[in-house]
Amino acid sequence: MDTRTSSLSQLPSRVGAARIGIGGPVGSGKTALIERLIPAFAARGVSLAIVTNDLVTAEDAERIRRSGLIDPARVAAVEAGACPHTVIREDPTLNIAAADDLEALFPDVELILIESGGDNLASTFSLDLVDWWMFVIDVAGGDDIPRKNGPGVLKCDLLVVNKTDLAPYVGVDLAAMAAQAATARAGRPMALTNCRSNDGVDAIADRIVSDVLFR
Amino acid sequence: MNQPSIQLLVALQHADGQFPSGGFAFSQGLEASSSLAGKLGVFEFAGFVDTQIRHRWANADRVALVRAFRLAGDLDALAELDREVEASTFVEGLRSGSRRNGAALLTTHGRLGTKGAAAYRAMVRDGRASGHLAVVQGLAWQAIGLDEATAVAIGGYQMVASLGTAAVRLGLIGAIDAQASIARALPEVEAAACRPVADDEALRSFAPLCEIAVAMHGASGQRLFSN
Repeated sequence: MDTRTSSLSQLPSRVGAARIGIGGPVGSGKTALIERLIPAFAARGVSLAIVTNDLVTAEDAERIRRSGLIDPARVAAVEAGACPHTVIREDPTLNIAAADDLEALFPDVELILIESGGDNLASTFSLDLVDWWMFVIDVAGGDDIPRKNGPGVLKCDLLVVNKTDLAPYVGVDLAAMAAQAATARAGRPMALTNCRSNDGVDAIADRIVSDVLFR
Repeated sequence: MNQPSIQLLVALQHADGQFPSGGFAFSQGLEASSSLAGKLGVFEFAGFVDTQIRHRWANADRVALVRAFRLAGDLDALAELDREVEASTFVEGLRSGSRRNGAALLTTHGRLGTKGAAAYRAMVRDGRASGHLAVVQGLAWQAIGLDEATAVAIGGYQMVASLGTAAVRLGLIGAIDAQASIARALPEVEAAACRPVADDEALRSFAPLCEIAVAMHGASGQRLFSN
């Protein structure tokens, strides 16, 4: 019997575009961040494609396709079957297949952004799917989010705290929230952004170009 | 005490809902049928499952799986069978869902190194094959050394179990109730699985209410599941 169930360490390495995940709670600004990153990567000469996971059909994918920022054919949508965790972690095959198809369709693609459907603090990306991932939270979600020690906040390669402009209006001490996040993550990378005004987005693009694309 | 065979253990591995196959994102018309119950008559989960077993799986998906299994890795012949599945699946939502689910399962088997999977994935990508789920199941489960009856059993079990988990996520039934429903459906799967399949048997299905629901739902743009 040929069971063909080799261990992970025996699997062949994948060669192709780098794949990065963007996860985080509903409404934290994942799609807004992508809309800001698209021109930032274009300015850096990075050929891009995008996969979105929507809770319901293809709303985020359509929003990005209609943005005029990227060739709509470079945006693929994957429905999450009411399970945004599963489609990026336990069973990422639909996302892997979508990214593989984009790579085959656009051989020049260097970077594929994979946006998770809105989820909670426990969501993490399978390393079968992505090489590097970030987790987006926002100040309006509450300054106690970093203290909750959710796996999304703790395990991501980059924690993004978005909507910094709202801090004074929702009673959040941004400096204290950032300090708590830094403590929870033991000093691992973090970025503060206001995607509406593009604050902090260039630094994220530079980090990805450096840490993921090794330029 | 008898020891479990490697055949049984491998079957358990590949039947397990944790095996990455993409199947969790497909409801095979369950979401559409349940959400359109007011327009299409009363919806009842057990009846839906029974229809799927008797009128879709038994004479279409199961037949495609068995025929694919017997082709023993002949990729051109599998592509021909795939065209039959494509032609005999009436509604676009079910057709594209079956192709996407097949591509997801091929992706896992391609990465695991299952014989023929990567080559067939390439054929799907360049348009020489459709990659429908039942065909891919037959290809993959034959390649890993399962016997035909076990492959059919896994296919039938997964079909019923995936409907159960989809129903739980849709809030139609509870998780324990889902297991009771699956248990009640398994004898029907067994009865269907026992029927012989000719090497050239045609694919037949008849589930018009489900197909109408999928067609209507697909146009609505509001779906949790791929179909």
